[in-house]
Amino acid sequence: MSTKLLLQLLVTLMIIPYLFPLVVMVQGSLAGKGLGNYEAVFAVGTVGTFFRNSVIVSASTILIVYVLTMFAAFGFSKLHIRGKEVYFWMILAALTLPEVVLLTPLFATTLSIGVYDTYWAVVLPLAALQIPFAVLLARKFIDGVPDSLFDAARVDGASIFTAFRYIVVPMTRPIAAAIVVLTLIGSWNDYLLPLVLIQDPAKQTITLLPQFFVSQFSNDQTKVLASAVITAIPEIVAYLCLQRLFERGLAAGALK
Amino acid sequence: MTSITSPKTGARRPSPAPLPDGSRKRGGRPAGLPWIMPAFVFVVGLLYYCIIETGYLSTLDWDGTSPTPTSVGLGNYSEILQDPIFWKAIWHTVVFFVVTFTVQTAIGFVFAALLHSKVKLGAVYKVLVFTPVVLAPATMAPVFRQMFAADGQLNWALDHLGLGFLSQPWLAQSSTAMPVIMFITVWQFTGLTFVLYFAAMGQIDPETLEAARTDGASNLRVLVSIVWPGVRGTTVALAMLGVIGALKTFDVPYLVTIGGPNYSTEFLGTYIYRISIPSAHVGYGAALSILLLILALLGAIAVAARANRKDGESSV
Amino acid sequence: MLGSSRIWKRRLPGAAAVFTAAALALAGCAGGGTTETTDKGSADSGSITWWGWTPDAAPAEAYIKAFNKVYPNIKVTYKKLTIDGYDAAIRPALASSVGPDVFDVAPGAANGSVEIYGVNAVDLTPAVQKALGADWKSKLAPIGVSSLTTDGKLAAFSVGSNFAGPVWVNQDLFDKYGLKPPTNYDEWKQVCAAFKTHDIKCFVQGAAQTAFNEDTLQAISNNVKPGVWAQALDKKVPWTDPTIVKALTIWKGLFDDGIMQEGALGTQQYPDANNEFMSGKAAMVMMGTWYMQYSTVDGSTAAISGAGVGDPKPFTQLPIAFPDVAGTGNVGSLYGDADFGLAVNKKSKSIAAATTFATWLGTSEAGQQAVADILNDIPALTSVQPDWNSIKLVNPAVQQPALEKLISDAGKSSEPRLATVSADLQTAIGVASTTVAARQATPEQAAATLQSTAEKIK
Repeated sequence: MSTKLLLQLLVTLMIIPYLFPLVVMVQGSLAGKGLGNYEAVFAVGTVGTFFRNSVIVSASTILIVYVLTMFAAFGFSKLHIRGKEVYFWMILAALTLPEVVLLTPLFATTLSIGVYDTYWAVVLPLAALQIPFAVLLARKFIDGVPDSLFDAARVDGASIFTAFRYIVVPMTRPIAAAIVVLTLIGSWNDYLLPLVLIQDPAKQTITLLPQFFVSQFSNDQTKVLASAVITAIPEIVAYLCLQRLFERGLAAGALK
Repeated sequence: MTSITSPKTGARRPSPAPLPDGSRKRGGRPAGLPWIMPAFVFVVGLLYYCIIETGYLSTLDWDGTSPTPTSVGLGNYSEILQDPIFWKAIWHTVVFFVVTFTVQTAIGFVFAALLHSKVKLGAVYKVLVFTPVVLAPATMAPVFRQMFAADGQLNWALDHLGLGFLSQPWLAQSSTAMPVIMFITVWQFTGLTFVLYFAAMGQIDPETLEAARTDGASNLRVLVSIVWPGVRGTTVALAMLGVIGALKTFDVPYLVTIGGPNYSTEFLGTYIYRISIPSAHVGYGAALSILLLILALLGAIAVAARANRKDGESSV
Repeated sequence: MLGSSRIWKRRLPGAAAVFTAAALALAGCAGGGTTETTDKGSADSGSITWWGWTPDAAPAEAYIKAFNKVYPNIKVTYKKLTIDGYDAAIRPALASSVGPDVFDVAPGAANGSVEIYGVNAVDLTPAVQKALGADWKSKLAPIGVSSLTTDGKLAAFSVGSNFAGPVWVNQDLFDKYGLKPPTNYDEWKQVCAAFKTHDIKCFVQGAAQTAFNEDTLQAISNNVKPGVWAQALDKKVPWTDPTIVKALTIWKGLFDDGIMQEGALGTQQYPDANNEFMSGKAAMVMMGTWYMQYSTVDGSTAAISGAGVGDPKPFTQLPIAFPDVAGTGNVGSLYGDADFGLAVNKKSKSIAAATTFATWLGTSEAGQQAVADILNDIPALTSVQPDWNSIKLVNPAVQQPALEKLISDAGKSSEPRLATVSADLQTAIGVASTTVAARQATPEQAAATLQSTAEKIK
């Protein structure tokens, strides 16, 4: 009992530095006109459209990242590939370029493959930028699944795909949930790619919301912060929904 | 005990295979190339053009729009090696990585472990530690400048705690600006570390944990000797991401301190941005980017190699 | 999903995959050409897009509405980008064939530099000759024409200009504590000491955002000896000139003598310093003519509310001459540039309609009146004055004469502000200003470093 209390106290103390800036931020979003700041953000009239666009972009990105990552991580972890590490590091290298450097070449690429000013112009690069780390994570996770499980499956005469479907997919749920959350954050919060690669105002994403309140010689911080709160809430809700998947890991079932 | 050792057996691919290729174990493995190809083609196809293009630009002296760029060969690179700001940025990156990675890993790991044990109001803590991850640094930067200002909330809190002698203009001094940048980074990314550790801990067999407890192992010992090794894969992945991320660090220092005062919070990421966009030295910026790519890969490979060696040692 | 994995099972050879990847990559190389479109389209109908970091959405809408009264068949879509995002977005957009038809440019090294993007712009000389006649140069503010001309071509129409030099004061705060705006260094020190006892910050400067340090340094330098700063920018005198060293010494004094707010080096002009002033926490700030818009009831209320004040009450904001800190009597200098201009994209498919819009906003009475009345820019067409009857000031008796004087003084100034400062030089001046303020270098050392850096800049 006392240990439990002690742990509760410890975690509370640890959270304070995390809480402090959040309080300052929410206070800031309510300064001045109070909830009127939030009304002003909605009064811009594009919140709904931006929100829908962000959902489309994020959902497509997550789908691509999840499918490609799981295939690749399984391949890297459990299957035979000659020169495996070369492929792996080539994928990882794509993670190392700063976004500013990517912009101009990406612009040229999206233009030449004809996707400029469509959602794909944002989805494809976002997915490509998320996959390397997702593969790294998922590979490490699948490494933790004992080989014996697959050997047993093969004795049973199951095809690789069946093994993937019935062993890898269910067992990797915790890391898949983490990857979904990471990809959601990456795609939902991205600012530069939609700014540069989408021209049509009807296709802009929610990260462009604060710019209605920032201009050359004015900067309405209260409404910028209100926009940030509005932008963050869907992600927090999504995280809470996925939360249970983190816990329902392999340990619970399949191993035995 | 199987579940403690099995992740390791898995993590160690059968590299020190006693039998030559074609043996039962290895030759029996189905071909994996088709499985990795979709991701490989996708990533390489979309992003390698950027790398090749940047490599080419790095040999130019160019403002980004003029029709007549001058080729300077490797001139940009030799100039960089004598650029004091470059070396300053590298040094900052090293210190920054060591501090932020250590702190973030420790806090994220402890949080994940604490919240796996049944603390009350777990969801509230989870949301609090996770929320910073989703807040765009651009929005948070003014909040932090306000918090750490001479008359900001931090100094106010210090005054009220009787620690007034500690209060100072945090962001205006070269000596305190970097620690503030590190604090903000840790604040922002602990949520990520936490989420990944929390997921990884789901892979540890609860029966093992139970068994250890009934053996009389204390919470702390279980944590150190079972949980920590059990999430090693995640730690390695986070370390690799940390190295790459530290080298690319841009948002926080750029938005909060603009790399200042007097370059005291300059990183490669901020330097590349300043050089390539406002100053329009596209060639020099590209050369810096290529160096960043090489350093990031070397750093990540070093982390991976160290991890593999350790795996080897512990499994013997 | 099952199907796709079956396809992959056919063992696509690695080499072929790599080839596909390379082909995909190489496809990116096919960029657009750089030639000017020959078909210019219709001059009074069509649909055009305009990209800019300024003006705000609301004034832009007002401009477009006024424009459509004259040209109802040209549909203008304005896309507002942030200052930080503008360069990142415009560079690739102009390189492509689908960029904006009209885009903002500005003189100098700041965002949207005309030096950089001028190559993408159509020469507007024929258009202005048609609109204003052969003596067009006499009708436009010279600063807007010269600073937006590159390589002998008029790359953009200046919409208006901005000048720095004055200090803005919160007159109500001065009145409340029975203080007078300072006119020299000693008064300034005393005023600041007095404000401090009331827990009010005296003078705020966002010294981390170094472009604004230049404004203050230029004011001090012009006070020490007029014109030397501009000559140094022009490479006519070295940065080690005694005037500059003296200016840096006085600048350092502002920090040491409690005139500058504590922690200035960690503060940015926007939003930090601006918010301090607007929320009444600070009495003085170094801002330019763009601050005129906050003399109006609406402008002031919105800005104060934006600074986080719950119950925004407009206060009297007044421009005063920069105090005579060197004791020379040389006060009231103003230096400015064209704020922004509208350029027409060479590759636009509707060059004629785009030119119509840019010409209307930059050179027509109606367009320029719309610009003048917002009090953000001093109009480019010199014959246009703000229509004071339609503008509601907070304290007209005090403010209107002050603003009228500011506008007329600005019209006489020809000293450049940032237009001729390259990004590299700007960085170097920034380093000089912050190292001196942080006591990491003496004014002499900082000036010497600045000079040696400036010499290396091409």
